[in-house]
Amino acid sequence: MEQNIHENEYIYPGHVACSGCGAAIAMRFLLKALGEKTIIVLPACCWSIIAGPYPQSSLKVPVIHCAFEAGGAVASGVRAALDIKGDTETTVVTWAGDGGTFDIGFQALSGAVERNEEFIYACYDNEAYMNTGIQRSSSTPYGAWTTTTPGIEWKKLRKKNIVEALVAHRIPYAATANIAFPDDLVRKAKKAKEIKGSKFLHIYSSCPTGWRIPSEMSIKIARMAVQTNIFPLYEVEDGIKYTINYKSKEYPVREYFKLQGRFKHLSDEDLEQIQEMVNEDWERLLKKAGENP
Amino acid sequence: MAKGKGMTIPPSILIPCSYISTESNKTGAWRFLRPRYEEKTSPCSAACPAGEDIGRVEMLATQGLFKEAWETILRENPFPGVCGRVCYHPCESACNRGEFDEAIAIHTIERFLSDTAARNDFKPVLERLPLRKEKIAVIGSGPGGLAGAYFLTLLGYACDVFESMPEPGGVLRWGIPSYRLPLSALRNDLSQIESQGVRIHTGRRITRDSLEDMYGIYDGIFVCCGHSASGSLGIPGEDLKGVANGLDFLRRVREGEVPSVEGLSVIIGGGNTAVDVARSVIRFGGKALIAYRRRRQDMPAFKDEVAMLLDERVELRELVAPIKIAEEAGEYAMTLGPMRVAGEDTDGRALVERDGNTTEEIRIKRVFKAIGEVAAESWLEPPEKDNDIKILNNCVMVNRSDHPAVVFGGDLTAGFKSVVNAVASGKEAAIALDIVFRKGLDSVDEELANCVVGDGPAHSMEIHMKGERYKRSSHIVPYEEINTDYFSFTQGITQPRLLKDERLCTFEEVDLKISASVAMRESERCFNCGLCNQCDNCYIYCPDMAVVHDSSINGRHIDFDYCKGCGICVVECPRNAMSLEEED
Amino acid sequence: MKRVVEGSEAVAEAVRLARVNVISAYPITPQTHIVEFLSEYCANGTMDARFLRVESEHSALAALIGTATTGVRSFTATSGQGLALMHELLHWTSGARLPIVMAEVNRALAPGWNIWVDQTDSLAQRDTGWIQLYCEDSQEVLDTIIQAYRLGELVDLPVMVVLDAFFLSHTYEPVDIPDQKLVDDYLPPWEPKFQLDTEKPCAFGPLVTPAFYMEMRHAIAGAMEDALEVFPQVEDEFERIFNRRYGEVEAVSCDDAEIILVSSGTAASTSRLVVKDLRAAGEKVGLLKIKLLRPFPVDIVRRVLASAKKVAVIDRNFSFGASGIFAQEIRAALCNTMKHPPVFNYIAGIGGRDLTADVIEDIYRRAKASDFPERESEWVGLQEV
Repeated sequence: MEQNIHENEYIYPGHVACSGCGAAIAMRFLLKALGEKTIIVLPACCWSIIAGPYPQSSLKVPVIHCAFEAGGAVASGVRAALDIKGDTETTVVTWAGDGGTFDIGFQALSGAVERNEEFIYACYDNEAYMNTGIQRSSSTPYGAWTTTTPGIEWKKLRKKNIVEALVAHRIPYAATANIAFPDDLVRKAKKAKEIKGSKFLHIYSSCPTGWRIPSEMSIKIARMAVQTNIFPLYEVEDGIKYTINYKSKEYPVREYFKLQGRFKHLSDEDLEQIQEMVNEDWERLLKKAGENP
Repeated sequence: MAKGKGMTIPPSILIPCSYISTESNKTGAWRFLRPRYEEKTSPCSAACPAGEDIGRVEMLATQGLFKEAWETILRENPFPGVCGRVCYHPCESACNRGEFDEAIAIHTIERFLSDTAARNDFKPVLERLPLRKEKIAVIGSGPGGLAGAYFLTLLGYACDVFESMPEPGGVLRWGIPSYRLPLSALRNDLSQIESQGVRIHTGRRITRDSLEDMYGIYDGIFVCCGHSASGSLGIPGEDLKGVANGLDFLRRVREGEVPSVEGLSVIIGGGNTAVDVARSVIRFGGKALIAYRRRRQDMPAFKDEVAMLLDERVELRELVAPIKIAEEAGEYAMTLGPMRVAGEDTDGRALVERDGNTTEEIRIKRVFKAIGEVAAESWLEPPEKDNDIKILNNCVMVNRSDHPAVVFGGDLTAGFKSVVNAVASGKEAAIALDIVFRKGLDSVDEELANCVVGDGPAHSMEIHMKGERYKRSSHIVPYEEINTDYFSFTQGITQPRLLKDERLCTFEEVDLKISASVAMRESERCFNCGLCNQCDNCYIYCPDMAVVHDSSINGRHIDFDYCKGCGICVVECPRNAMSLEEED
Repeated sequence: MKRVVEGSEAVAEAVRLARVNVISAYPITPQTHIVEFLSEYCANGTMDARFLRVESEHSALAALIGTATTGVRSFTATSGQGLALMHELLHWTSGARLPIVMAEVNRALAPGWNIWVDQTDSLAQRDTGWIQLYCEDSQEVLDTIIQAYRLGELVDLPVMVVLDAFFLSHTYEPVDIPDQKLVDDYLPPWEPKFQLDTEKPCAFGPLVTPAFYMEMRHAIAGAMEDALEVFPQVEDEFERIFNRRYGEVEAVSCDDAEIILVSSGTAASTSRLVVKDLRAAGEKVGLLKIKLLRPFPVDIVRRVLASAKKVAVIDRNFSFGASGIFAQEIRAALCNTMKHPPVFNYIAGIGGRDLTADVIEDIYRRAKASDFPERESEWVGLQEV
């Protein structure tokens, strides 16, 4: 498998991400794609900590930490100021977790995208409020245990489809990406950089701590999410044109669920039901991409 | 560390603003498991009787480093041109890729490398030990003898090879037809062997007496003259003029003779010799019939050969044995009796017995015997009962105080007769002798055990000479330990061949050559089980930037100041070239 | 040049003159005219600035935190609910030491919906580390906004310029709108002490542990003290060019006053008239108008009020469970002086109820009639329910 991953590193080692953290891997690939003329807007999330405590920073690019719900708005401001100063080279990126994107940060994201602000919003999705101790978010998938959906109250609501929500805004570019597919992620980040207006990257990022998986399985589980069609890789341009980037071998979803502690309570019937849900969603996506199931 | 801007001094007012890096935080202290680069043994290299470092050969070929790939073969086998054509390639049966889609066409690539080396006149640079005083005599210049001499030369010994025929090569020169092994290919390998310093004395037949004369001159003797006498059918009419030895026929053809083979020839036997004779006969325009007493699947001949045999319209009669041969009016009448399966032999092949009393008579022009060979003279057989013999994997060593070290090898001692087994035998003999001279007979078993590939029985010169391969773990990587997520189903190459009709009228080589791009495309399919092929997955997926590129042979190292021991590198290494261990 | 302008237009003119580069605001009555004027200026090129039409007040201030951290002069305006929504980020702005200027139109807080003047909204934010300046008329608003940039950028703190809903925002007054050149002389371009810069990367607003946080907060406290120290100089420079100054407070007839009324905003204007009339009738009454609430000008307040017999604070706001907020501030300032007058507190004009001269005079009379406050605060003008 060919890898064209740039040699430069934009993160210092010595950061305190958990062992095997998918979010650290995701940021590493993103910055390799975007380069050093990048400003990161960082609302409250795991990366607020990974970015390093005062006086340390683990990033080699400038960062502005901000309040949880403000990611889209602060980025709009940074961009406006750069424009005033005549800087057309620096890329503004909001780097947020799923909480700061799907829930509390959704308003600011929607507002910024509606105004078609010139920035990239990258959500690294570990499917819960991990930084505060694994509480559920609207990105938590159907079937998952979290500390606020414990026991029999495991989440019986589907994961919010954030890409579709933004596609409804006619966002110029929205794409899913996954840490187990670095070439694809890098390509999409570079493509996003070149497109005018708002761009959204939804990056699947494994969380060994929150998902109860061994740290070494971080990449493998991420890859399985795509191979089972649970997290398909696709792009949408101008809110209209869908392109599916990867057609998997279509592994049964059971394999993905069985490997993660956060799903271990699911019965065979639950898994069958989930398999049907995944199949339906996949076929719907195929149709949108103009392909036959 | 990769380049990046240094951080700045703090702002002039005291605000929450970070301005130095996190590098002072040595997160390596978190670790309770520690990864390391540990190359392991690929199953193909363990299955190869000569222990060729096949995974590495394929890796180098993929990188276009053909000379280096060829040298990697030469370290363990001086006959890539020969083996790439005539070996039964047990490596391909062991190939992990075979469980994924198709095994790598290892022998095709080996042949390609040998041909490329010859075409470009590569001069190999091989590791050699300094010259020692001991001299070794090698009897027989077949694959076993020449391999033995070659390896001994690399180990620092002056070798004299004695060959009774006018040209070296043994069965390679005189026993294998040129449509399988052209003379040019053999000569390429031979010239490489001679260029290493092996001295071959042709036309020198060694008798038991001349052997005893050598005792005073040589410190070691490697007896490897193969089986050149034919076995006996034990039936009436065996000595008739029209009954010839299959190996003799092949030798005469190789000497350039064009024999008369009109009419039907019957070949008794089911090994490669039988098949070679039959396929040679039809190329001279004759008709051929093979009579074999067991079933097709029991034939010791290589399966590809049998398939091509049938393709070339040789008739194969299974479960039939000759009872007698009679001469009749310029022709011969052969009486055949049917056989039936009566159980299973220890090697899984059928045991057969006469099936009733019926017979059948066929009229033929000549008979060829290809039922197996024995040593030409009895003294060539290794002694069986002796206090001072060591039975090794592939040869038998004799060591008495009033003799030099004597080793018997090749077909003389082989359980399974093939070119590569002969090479293995020559290598084992060479290493055993080397150990005797450096450390003594008592060390032979242990030292030989130290240089096996995987669990053995193949030995590796590189391991014996403590090269890079010495550092590898002997764990053989099974298919389950390959991370197949990084590979997609790809069809292997098909060996290009002469069309059937083209084959029948020529002794030109049946298998055709392949281009460099085809070879590389095929070698790229190799998983490189257990070997690091610099795919960089470990570097790519590390969340802590703890895999750092450097200028070492490995190309990278782990920065244990920061490695948290998450283990992603080990799991994402597609070929199990890393290991995870408990931190002390 | 003197023009009759709406208070909102005076705000907009000040923002224009201050050469603000980014405006980010969300409409809320009665701030809307401010943002409309500014939108117009940005659209027709009167201002070389960006207008960010954000989707909430929280996002408005969030965007400005972004712009100011990138080193560009920024402005917002809000009122009532909008300011309350910004609360989290008000703390953030001062903690990040960003000299953003805000025009805050005092408006009552819901429920029920009340768009009229009440000071509780801005006073509830007095702990957020913003400099707070209360204005009495449109000229003062315009002048103060310009001064606010000078002051804020000197001490690296955000500044809230407060004006009454409708009475200032929607009332037309004659206002001297200065020449751009004169304002340029007064207010140089901002030279940020830090900003986002890919050439010198650093991370603003990271995790700060107890080992480091306290000193940063102490630095903000220090900046507030600096603001108090530097305020007169900011006014001196302004007076030199524009011939106007306002002072941290303004004492009217306080020297020999027995009762000093304390007031702010437009109520201070009405109070002046009442004091004038009462003085004409022989009452020994004075007025202390509070302009600078944060940092609180303790020394000046103590000096002015020291000799009075009574102080009557008029609060158009209330801190439930305590008293009117200006009264709290005055009482706190006087507490550590050896001898000080009792402080009466009268709550009036809440939620836009008219604070007339009659009401103020009534307050005076009540204060005069009691030796000592019977209760911590007294609500004036309540109707029978």
